[in-house]
Amino acid sequence: MKIAFTATGTNWESMIDPRFGRTEYIVIYDEERQNLTGHDNSAVKNDAHGAGTATSQRIFELKPDVLITGNGPGEHASNALKHLNMKIFADAQELTLKQAYESFKSGKLREI
Amino acid sequence: MKEIVVISGKGGTGKTSITASFAVLAGTSVVVADCDVDAADMHLLMQPRVDVTEDFYSGQIANINQSQCTRCGKCINICRFDAISLRNKQYIIDPLSCEGCGYCARICPMKAIVNRERLAGQWYISNIKTGSLMVHAKLGIGADNSGKLVAKVKDEAKEIALEERREIVLIDGPPGVGCPVLSSLSGSNYVVLVTEPTVSGLHDLKRVYDLVKKFRIKAGCIINKADVNPAKTAEIKQFLTRENIAHISDLPYDENFTKAMTQGKTIVEFDNGQLKNTLTDSWNKIKQLVND
Repeated sequence: MKIAFTATGTNWESMIDPRFGRTEYIVIYDEERQNLTGHDNSAVKNDAHGAGTATSQRIFELKPDVLITGNGPGEHASNALKHLNMKIFADAQELTLKQAYESFKSGKLREI
Repeated sequence: MKEIVVISGKGGTGKTSITASFAVLAGTSVVVADCDVDAADMHLLMQPRVDVTEDFYSGQIANINQSQCTRCGKCINICRFDAISLRNKQYIIDPLSCEGCGYCARICPMKAIVNRERLAGQWYISNIKTGSLMVHAKLGIGADNSGKLVAKVKDEAKEIALEERREIVLIDGPPGVGCPVLSSLSGSNYVVLVTEPTVSGLHDLKRVYDLVKKFRIKAGCIINKADVNPAKTAEIKQFLTRENIAHISDLPYDENFTKAMTQGKTIVEFDNGQLKNTLTDSWNKIKQLVND
């Protein structure tokens, strides 16, 4: 399973970025290969408008099975992401990636 | 560190006056961020001494290199925005009309036109009269506020708060329900909704609360000028109960608000009576609600 995080950095100790569209990084954890890869999202962060849909586009390219984030995607991004067979878990903004992953595994995160 | 954002949906409800009062009451415990950069006016009440100034670029603008231009006139014919004109035998870009679409740059046979990043305005870090710091911005004519600029102002304020160990970032949000509002909400811990008992006040409150709900951020509401339309105020309160929004306080219509403003003061510096007490209670309540 591939898990995507919106994150402020690219390692397990980085915090979850509460923002979806203007997240600093998208970090992917591939459970089978057990590797963590960071994708810099600063190009989208610098878009004047439409950050949510632009980040959705990047999520489409990465094709994760699960997304763990903070506030969650807004209206337009949510509509776009519906076309992807992906579960979204929100309200993880106070957690590190490691904590968020563990909370997800033990069913403590809220699916939206 | 907590982020508190004050929004209203409708403009003119007293959002900035109330935010500025909270900034004065909170003193050095908050870093202030004015994200209402389209019509930034919090600085009028905060008397900032600018410490850091930086240019802000957003969007694009076409630029004609006159020494490469052969005056073929192709650009003037294809511009959909009538942004190019011929003056003294030179093709000139009108920066207010140019949308930065890049069509002229693409078709110019001499490659004399290039799109550049547009200087949209400046943002500042200032010392304010409360002894604290404020991050604010000023846009050029024709430039519009954007999620990008709001994110920038917020990021700077957050960084200062972390460095200087301030408890709270207090954000004066933009009116409306568009991109800049979303950007000011995203990542915040508490939303203060400032409304007034008018048809459009309630209508826009509902619209903006839809966004807050989408992000599952806790919210409370201040009804300003509550006594001018008791029936509408009652209707707003019903909405708050239905949506489980904390009702922080009612403020009366009071001409002292305007009198304070004309002296460049916040209402809590001008009025020592009921208004000041209500606003002080409101701020204390908000601080509690954020941490609940």
